[in-house]
Amino acid sequence: MPTMTLTQTLVMGLLQCVAVLILIFVMVPLLTFAERKVIGYIQVRLGATRTAGGLVGITGALNRGMWAMGKLPVLSILRGLPVFIADILKLILKEDIIPAKAERSVFTLAPIISVMAAFGVFSAIAFFPGVLFTFPAKFPIVGGLPFMGFISDVNVGVLYILGLSSVGVYGIVLGAWASNSKYPLLGGLRSAAQIISYEVPLTLSLLTPVVLAGSLNFKDLSIRLSTGADMHWLGAIPLFVGFLVYTTCGFAETNRTPFDLPEAETELVAGFHTEYSGMKFGFFYLAEYTNMIVVSCFASAFFLGGYYLLPFGLQRLIPASVPFLGQPSILFFFLKVFAILFLFLWVRATLPRYRYDQLMDVGWKWLIPLTLVNLFVAGLIRYAF
Amino acid sequence: MEHLLETIGRNMFAIFGVMALCGAAFMVAAKSAVHSVLGFLFTMLCVSGCFLALDAEFIGMAQILVYAGGIVVLFLFVVMLVELSKFKEKGVFQLQSRYAVVAVLVGAAAFVAAFKNVIFGASSPEALILRPELAKGLDVAQQNAQAVSRGLFSDYLLPFEILSVILLVALVGAVVLAKTERV
Repeated sequence: MPTMTLTQTLVMGLLQCVAVLILIFVMVPLLTFAERKVIGYIQVRLGATRTAGGLVGITGALNRGMWAMGKLPVLSILRGLPVFIADILKLILKEDIIPAKAERSVFTLAPIISVMAAFGVFSAIAFFPGVLFTFPAKFPIVGGLPFMGFISDVNVGVLYILGLSSVGVYGIVLGAWASNSKYPLLGGLRSAAQIISYEVPLTLSLLTPVVLAGSLNFKDLSIRLSTGADMHWLGAIPLFVGFLVYTTCGFAETNRTPFDLPEAETELVAGFHTEYSGMKFGFFYLAEYTNMIVVSCFASAFFLGGYYLLPFGLQRLIPASVPFLGQPSILFFFLKVFAILFLFLWVRATLPRYRYDQLMDVGWKWLIPLTLVNLFVAGLIRYAF
Repeated sequence: MEHLLETIGRNMFAIFGVMALCGAAFMVAAKSAVHSVLGFLFTMLCVSGCFLALDAEFIGMAQILVYAGGIVVLFLFVVMLVELSKFKEKGVFQLQSRYAVVAVLVGAAAFVAAFKNVIFGASSPEALILRPELAKGLDVAQQNAQAVSRGLFSDYLLPFEILSVILLVALVGAVVLAKTERV
């Protein structure tokens, strides 16, 4: 890799940030569409169907032809896709109301903190451990430079991501407090208690891969775990338990069902964002879905094999000489990310909400002891082999 | 452009330091307790930036994880729950400001006296000093977290464990105090 001047580093960093932003702004609306459709089909409904591709043009002719034959049009599965454009327009154009008794500055700051914490995490996430493509020499500043699959290669990337995502709770708590209203405050308190409680097993379950592979660098850790370098094959057992605990805690951290008590609509109207409207609400929404993507990236990289095909360090079964399956690929990474995002939707469509005392019981009485035992087993495996 | 970036990069510690001081000043001066907590949060994040500017990435991240992610959230929790406006009307906080100024001045003087060599003296040539046999196979300047862990779990194991016992004692004490008050 050629050494870069500071200007080149800055421009390259900005370009990568823009790429990640585009990724987020493409994935989040698609995720909301997928949520409508997937949950719809699971509950034997059709989901969003009202906006179609139109009845004119080539697709229109196809649709009308199918309809005339008495069959469901081919494109019906994509019907409702344009809804997300309407969604975004609605969020941006809606009147932005700040309640009269709200604390104005904190009320505005809260969604910003949420979104910044959620987006900032991506600077340490490696989507691919190497060069994605090289800029042609004719580009002005960045010509001839490689475009890496990660923004920065942080030595303590895992700690950075954990730290920054723990800052995200301020957005929820401050937004709840600044609304100066009963329901948001209750939702915010619940949320803070829940996130602080579940942060403990979440961090402990992430320590299992760290202990097994001996690194805190996101990309390094992921590669070591999936190729199984310096790791005994028994390590797959604590990794699997860690994966289960991590995904459970990930659901709680992102306030998704069955842990969505902070926004339990039957009890709290909408929880901490009851008083928010317009794009301020949009930011909370964006942060929640971005956090889902972050949790999926983590689970994909540390437990499901990351850039390699097989999860839990089983990649050693496939020798590196196999052309496609034995090599790291960004496709494998995103395949697993999408699989876990689907799991999020699946669980939301299937499970009812926990009661509050059950939530705390699961966190403190089951998950924390389980992760501690798991961590001990991982340490034993690391020490013995 | 290149020159400007280089200057900024060299003065990162000063930039974060000044920002941390601004946050601290805001924390002291803010009228509302929640605003104070926000100022404190900003200060903590900037202090972690200071650590990062000194290439101490592990301590910087631990700073965010422990203070910004844990302790300040608990502060915020308490501040939100306790109705502080009642205390403000009684003027509880204003009574203490005279003593507070004196305490701060004495504390600052003691701090400067104790650390004047560290602050104004020449800086250490190495970021972290580790015994050579411990630092084997390790690029100390780059792999900060590994270096800290090797030092912590070999040379400084006993002080480290004693510190954790002290924290445990504080925790148990807090539980005991809270229990007796409730009964």
